[in-house]
Amino acid sequence: MTQRVTGQRFRQRKLSTKQNLPILRENEVEQLGDDDATRHIPKVETGVEKGEEIEHHLQAVISAAQAASQGGGKIAQLYIPTPDAVASKLQYEDLYPRQFTQPSTYIRFSSTVEDTIGCPYCMTSEDAAWLKSYNQKKNKGVQCSEEELELVINFFEEATLEKQPYADVDNTPVLTYEELEALFDERIPEHARRFAKDVYVHWKAERERRLNRPLMPTLKFEKNLDTDDSDPYVCFRRREVRMQRKTRGRDAQVTEKLKKLRKELEEARFIMAQVKRREVMIREQLALDKLIFEQRGEVKETKRRLSIKGDDEELLINQKVRVPLDARKTPFLTLLQPAPKPKPRVDTQALQRGIPGMGPKPPVTRPDGRLVDSDLVYLDDQLVKKSEIIDGFIEENLMKHQKWNVGWVDATWRPITPPLEQPAAKSDFRRVFTDSQLPTPPASVSSEEVGDAMAVQQVKQSEPRRSARIRFGTPPDDVPYQDQSRYRRRTGRGGRVMIDRRGVKRPKLDNDPIDERMADRWKFAGDSSEDEQIYPVDWTDNLHIRYRIMIERQGEKQHAQHQAAAAAAAAAQNRRAIENHQRSGSGHLAPPGAGQ
Amino acid sequence: MAPRENSHEPSGTPVPVETGFATLAQLRVGVKAFVEKDGEKRKAEILMIQTRRGEPKFYVHYEEFNKRLDEWVNADRIDLSREVEWPAPEKPDKKKSASTKNEKTTSKADQKSLKRSRSKLDRELSIASESSSINAPGKASRPTKASGKENQELLVTTEITDGTTPKPEDEEMDLVDVQDAAAAAKAVPDQAYSREDEIEKLRTSGSMTQNQTEIARVRNIEKVQMGKYEIEPWYFSPYPIDFVDVDMVYICEFCLNYYGDVTQFERHRSKCTLLHPPGNEIYRDDYVSFFEIDGRRQRTWCRNLCLLSKLFLDHKTLYYDVDPFLFYCMATRDEHGCHLVGYFSKEKESAEGYNVACILTLPQYQRKGFGKLLIDFSYLLSKREGKLGSPEKPLSDLGLLGYRAYWQEIIVDLLMDGRAEANIEDLGAQSAMTTNDVLHTLQNLNMLRYSKNAHVVVLTDAVVEARERQKAKEKIKGRRALDPERLSWKPPVFSAASRTWNW
Repeated sequence: MTQRVTGQRFRQRKLSTKQNLPILRENEVEQLGDDDATRHIPKVETGVEKGEEIEHHLQAVISAAQAASQGGGKIAQLYIPTPDAVASKLQYEDLYPRQFTQPSTYIRFSSTVEDTIGCPYCMTSEDAAWLKSYNQKKNKGVQCSEEELELVINFFEEATLEKQPYADVDNTPVLTYEELEALFDERIPEHARRFAKDVYVHWKAERERRLNRPLMPTLKFEKNLDTDDSDPYVCFRRREVRMQRKTRGRDAQVTEKLKKLRKELEEARFIMAQVKRREVMIREQLALDKLIFEQRGEVKETKRRLSIKGDDEELLINQKVRVPLDARKTPFLTLLQPAPKPKPRVDTQALQRGIPGMGPKPPVTRPDGRLVDSDLVYLDDQLVKKSEIIDGFIEENLMKHQKWNVGWVDATWRPITPPLEQPAAKSDFRRVFTDSQLPTPPASVSSEEVGDAMAVQQVKQSEPRRSARIRFGTPPDDVPYQDQSRYRRRTGRGGRVMIDRRGVKRPKLDNDPIDERMADRWKFAGDSSEDEQIYPVDWTDNLHIRYRIMIERQGEKQHAQHQAAAAAAAAAQNRRAIENHQRSGSGHLAPPGAGQ
Repeated sequence: MAPRENSHEPSGTPVPVETGFATLAQLRVGVKAFVEKDGEKRKAEILMIQTRRGEPKFYVHYEEFNKRLDEWVNADRIDLSREVEWPAPEKPDKKKSASTKNEKTTSKADQKSLKRSRSKLDRELSIASESSSINAPGKASRPTKASGKENQELLVTTEITDGTTPKPEDEEMDLVDVQDAAAAAKAVPDQAYSREDEIEKLRTSGSMTQNQTEIARVRNIEKVQMGKYEIEPWYFSPYPIDFVDVDMVYICEFCLNYYGDVTQFERHRSKCTLLHPPGNEIYRDDYVSFFEIDGRRQRTWCRNLCLLSKLFLDHKTLYYDVDPFLFYCMATRDEHGCHLVGYFSKEKESAEGYNVACILTLPQYQRKGFGKLLIDFSYLLSKREGKLGSPEKPLSDLGLLGYRAYWQEIIVDLLMDGRAEANIEDLGAQSAMTTNDVLHTLQNLNMLRYSKNAHVVVLTDAVVEARERQKAKEKIKGRRALDPERLSWKPPVFSAASRTWNW
C-alpha cells in the first residue's frame, strides 16, 4: 500500500526477525531520504498510554533523544520534572537505631509484619497526654506503662472488631466495659488488666469521638456493598469472588465439584467415626478380658483356699483361639472353644464354609467369660447333632422326592429348582472343591471364601450327600453341574494309591467358534505321551488272530478282499469299545489334559 | 449561580467547547482556565475546589502535563482575564441542583478539620453515584480483567502490516466521558447526604456502575515521611481515608506501616524489629541486595508496599490483592538496616509473558542509576528462567525512558562486540528481551535501514558516541552492574492447587 503511494519501482521485502542482517557503520550506508528509509518498517508502539504520550515533558525528552540519535551533537540531558523529595527533619538516628549486622550468608526470612511489630496499637498523642495525667494521680507503684496502655487498647479494639465488625457502618454503641471484660483472654496479660477499667473510660471517649470507628486508621476492604466496585478507596479485593461472578457455567461446575468433595469428606468422616467406635469397642473388650483373667485368678485362689479339687480346665476355656485369617476382620468375636479340642471346630467351620451361599456362620460366643459348668454341652457336639438332624431330614425328603419322581424324566432346561440327581450315596466319589477349577466362583459365595485358589477343601466323608445335593438354583453357564469333576481314591495292592476321576473336562476355548466341532473331532485323540499306535488289546479276543489269519490268507487267496474289509471295520469298532470302557471305568490316572 | 446563563442549552452529543469569561465565583469543577505554572500560563482543568480559611483553593491539572504535576493553587494564579472553557453540558434535570452547589462550598468554609473533610468525602461519593446515570458504564478506570494483572488494561502492541495509529474515535470517546463525568460531578447537590437517599438511589436507579474517577484524580496524601526523607506524593493512593486530613503520613522504612500521628509512629518505631524486606535475600553485592517476597506469604508487607508505590505510579491499580505476585525488592545496606530503594513486582505466572508488572525506584533515590539495576535484575531473572520478558504495559513516561535507555545500552553493546551481522531474534535471546522490544529499540534509534535492497542494522555515529560517552562516565564514577554469579535463585514453582485456591 505504502509502496504504491510512494511509487517506488521495487517492492521492499518485509523485515524478517530470523534473518541475519549485516551490521554497518553509518558511513557504509548510502544516505536515503528519511522518509524512505524507515517507512516500510512497522512502527512499534511505545507502550505508553496514548493520552500520556503527548505529554509535554515526555515529548521534550523523546525529541531531544531523537535529535541526539539522528546525530545532532550534544544536547543537555533533559529530565521529566517530578515533585520533590527532601531531607526530613525527624531525627533519623533516634528512630532507626544502628542495630543491623549483616550476616555472612544471604538472609532467609519468613516472619511477617505482624510477627515483628509487637502490639499493633500505637499510642497517639492524645493517649500519651491521658496517660501522663493518669499516672500523676497514681502511686509510684501502680504506674501504667505505655506498653500496658497499648495492650489494653489493642485488646479493646480487637474485641470490638470481632463483636461489631460493622461498627463503623451501622452506628452501634460502643461496647460496655462488662461486655469487654467477659471477653478477656490471653491477649491481655494479667499485669495490664489492672488498668483495663480506667483505660476503658479513655478508650470509650476516643472511640465515641471517632463515631465508633477503629482508632487505628484501616484500609477499606470490600464489604459486599454495591459501592465496592467503584470506590477507589476499596483495595485488595479477593480474586475468587470476582471470578465467580464472571462465568456462570464454570461457577456451576465448581459448585458441583465442591458438593461432591463435601459428600466425600462426609463419608470419610463417617468411616473414621466408625473406626473410632470399633477401636473403642476393642478397648472395652480388652478391659473385659483383663477382668476375666483377674477373676479367674481369684476363683483359683478361692478354690485353693477352700481346697476344692478338680481340674482347672473350665478356667482355661476362654483361652484365645487363633482367629482364622478371614475371621480376623471381626476381631471382637472371641471364640468360646475348649482349647484341647480345636480340631472339630475347624472341621465344622470348614463344613459351613463348604456350603456355598451360607457364608461363615459366626460361632456362638460368650464374651462375658463367666465360668462354665463342667457339664457344659459343647457347641461342637450340638452342632454335629443338629447337622445330623438336618441331614436326616434332607435325606428323608430326598427319598420321598425320588419316590414321587419314579418313572418321570425331568427335561426342564435349567430349572429354577434343579432336579435332584441320582443319589450319590452309593458312589464313593466325592466332590472336589477347588476354586481354581471353577472358572467363575458362584456369585452367591461370599467373598471371604475366595481365598486360596489352590486350597482343596476336603469334605468329610460323613457329609457327602449334603454337599453334593444342595446346589445353586442357577448353575453357572459354562460349568454344567454334571461336569464338575469328582475323584475317588483307592488303595490297591502293594499300597498303590489310585485316584479315579470323573467329569474332568478339557477347558473350553471360548474364543474358538468351531470349538464344539473341534472338540468332537479330537474326542478320541487324547494327546497322551503314549504312542497312539499301541492299542490295548484284549488277549482273550480272537479278533487279532482272525485278522492275522485273514492277512495270511490274503497272500494265498486274492479274491478274499471283501472279507478283509469287513474285518477291518470290526477292528475299528472294537477299538472304540475299548476306549469307551477306559473312559468310564477305572483307567489309571492319565497325565493332566489327557482326559476327555 | 451564573455560568449557565451565558451558555446556550446544549443538545446532542459532541458540542464545540463553550468558552467565555468567568468570575472567581463561577469557577467550578470541570472548568478549564489558564493557570500560571513556572512563569508561564498553561491551560488547566479544575478538578476540585476547597475553601480553607475563607480562601478558595483549586486543584488543577495542567493539560499536556503529567498528573504528578497537578497541584493546589490559589485564586490569584488563575488568569481570569482570558476566557475559560466550560465543561461539557449536563442533562437538564441535573441542572437545577447545580445552583445550590457554590453556596454549599462556601458555607462549608467554616467547618473544621475532620468534619469538613468527612462531608467532603461524602460529597465526592455522592458525586460519583450521581454521575453513574450519565456515564457510559464501566468506561474509565475500572479494570475489567480478573486475570493476574496488576496494571490496568493495556493497549499493545505492534501492528506489523501497517502502522495506523489507534482509532481516534476511541480517544475522543474517552475524553467525552471524562467530561461527562466532570459535568455530572459538579452538578451534584452538595447537601448532607443521608443514608436513606443513598439506598433509595441504589434501589431506583438501574445501573449501579459508579464512576468515582473524580476522587482518584485528586491526590489525597499531602506528604509522606519515610526514612530520612519527606516525599511529595504524585498520585492518589487508597491509604486509609483518615489520612486525607493529616499533614504528613509517616511510613516505617522497614515494615512500611503507615501512621498519621508522629507519636504513634515513634511508638511504632520503638517496637518494630524488622530491619530488611521480609523475604529471602537472593542477590547481594557490595552495593545492593535483592529480596524476593511472595505476595501471599507477606500479604501485609506487600500491601503496604503497593500502597506506597501507588503514590508514585499512576497506572498501578490496587483493585485486587497481592497474592499472585512476587515482589523483588532492591535495598542498600548500612548499620541501620536494609533500606528499600526500589522494587518490581512480577506475576507468578504471566499469560502474556511479562517479566515485570510494576517497577518503581522510590523518588528519594531516583536519578541515581537504581532504575537500570532494577531493570537489569528483571532480565537477569528472565535469563535464569530461560524466557524472554517484557514489562507490562502501559508504561509510564519515566518507565518508557528508563527502559529505552536500558535497551539501548544492551543492544548497542551486543552489536559492538565485533560481530558482522545480527539477527533480531538472537539479540533478543541473548538479552532475554522480546523480539518486539529489540525491534522497538533499533527502530527508535534509527538503526534499522533499508539499503541496497536489503535490511541492514546501522550502528549510527550518534549511538556509538553516546555509548562511548557513557563508558567514559562509568570509568570516572565507577560502573554499577549486577553480577549474575551472585544471584542465588531458582525460578519458584507454584502448584496448581496454590494457583487455584490462593490467588
